[in-house]
Amino acid sequence: MAQHGGPQQRIFSPIRTALHRFAFILLIVSCFALMLLGKADTVLIERIRGAAVDLVSPFMNLASRPAASIDDVTTRIESFASLYEENLRLREQNRELLAWQQVARNLTYENSRLRELSHYANPPSQHEVSARVIADMGGAFAHSMMISAGTRDGVLKGQAVLSDEGLIGRIADAGYQASRVLLITDINSRIPVMIENSRDRAFLSGDNTDRPLLTFLTADATVAPGDRVLTSGHGGAFPPGIPVGIVSSVSENAVRVAPLFRRHQVEYLRVVNYGLAGILKDPDALHSMPHLDQGTSGHAASLPTGVGVGPASDEPAMPEPPTFSPSPSGTPGARP
Amino acid sequence: MKPGVWQRLDVIARSTVPAFSVFVLLLIGLLPYSIPKLADVTPALTLMAVFYWSVNRPDLLTGLAAFMLGLIQDLLTGLPLGVSSLVFLLVQSVSANQGRFFHNKAFTVMWWGFTIVSLPAFLLQWLFSSALTGALLPFQPLVISYLITAGMFPLVAWILVRIQNGLLRNL
Repeated sequence: MAQHGGPQQRIFSPIRTALHRFAFILLIVSCFALMLLGKADTVLIERIRGAAVDLVSPFMNLASRPAASIDDVTTRIESFASLYEENLRLREQNRELLAWQQVARNLTYENSRLRELSHYANPPSQHEVSARVIADMGGAFAHSMMISAGTRDGVLKGQAVLSDEGLIGRIADAGYQASRVLLITDINSRIPVMIENSRDRAFLSGDNTDRPLLTFLTADATVAPGDRVLTSGHGGAFPPGIPVGIVSSVSENAVRVAPLFRRHQVEYLRVVNYGLAGILKDPDALHSMPHLDQGTSGHAASLPTGVGVGPASDEPAMPEPPTFSPSPSGTPGARP
Repeated sequence: MKPGVWQRLDVIARSTVPAFSVFVLLLIGLLPYSIPKLADVTPALTLMAVFYWSVNRPDLLTGLAAFMLGLIQDLLTGLPLGVSSLVFLLVQSVSANQGRFFHNKAFTVMWWGFTIVSLPAFLLQWLFSSALTGALLPFQPLVISYLITAGMFPLVAWILVRIQNGLLRNL
């Protein structure tokens, strides 16, 4: 500390003020330099972001557990309130689903028979990693989440991330043990999609609201609220047929889609590597996917791609139905 | 009397408390809460702490610390780099210069001060984020987020007052 009022004070005080001012200006300039650097989207920035996610992930991993138990309490209270209605709804849904299960069994059998007949080459198997959501980077400016799986588990940038209901986003930065998921609602997210019934192609563009927009929809496209939206598989980032959302509103200048996931209830996510090169321009990134050749490793489910979301990996593959019903459409009233 | 090694280490550890508290608030803000709609309008906990420490202990939360904390926030949340750094740096500099005004005044004065300082901070963040993403970001969550942030300030400030009185009284 300089002595107050001494001759040293008179000399050093202006110098210190000048240094202070210089440091402030230097930091402001650094901010703008960072903005430019970040805009250039270099591999370096990506690595640093991955490392930052890695650094805090042990803490977030621990700290998010109590948060998850709070979640448990709120869901319990919520479900108690609507127990009766929920039960009725689920019974109804169960009846419908049993009918659909019958249809699916018949179709699976028929499909495998047809594949045998036409010597159909199975697409490469997909590789799944399940991960817990350890952070939700909410806010008005970005929509992303942090999950507890990284390159250690075979997670790489660009891979599709699914919730139980459907597509939730893609991996934006992959650290060693944790990664950041860019949600489909984020303003930087663009997903090639199609309308399920009309097969019209479009882009699902996030705009930081919870209802992303359908853009580049052709003028003669027929879209109505309630239509399901699936990935179209264009661009080679995701395979076709993954459910993404439901058209929620159609107006003159905007078609909005309600995503299938409920952000505050997402606890576990699946990162799926379909082995598609897609947005990964870097050839090295493709070579670093060893699990694609090794078939079924620990948690790899051997499902053909192109069928959308397969059953959860811990479930055994659907057994071949013992009897084959000749009507492929299936009878809705039938019970297995 | 010269302070011993442990004493000096203790002083150093205590002097990092303000910056560390901002970091902890950042992580708390990132936790996945399962409250519907909260994710869109999370309060800016870090901004409150940066303001609080800049007013009360500008010597412990310097411009450099504000810059680094902003950088960490941008890296972790996936925001465009440099925006939070700039906002924190400006908030730190303004609050530190005007800090004396709040001393020995009622808490409501500081609360008002925060609502006044955080308004341009939010707008600046919105402006730069929009410019760097190349599209106008929705304004409504920003307004709600600002209101929640302003409303929650006393709670966070109360905790920070406890920390300041408990750990930094003799520093």
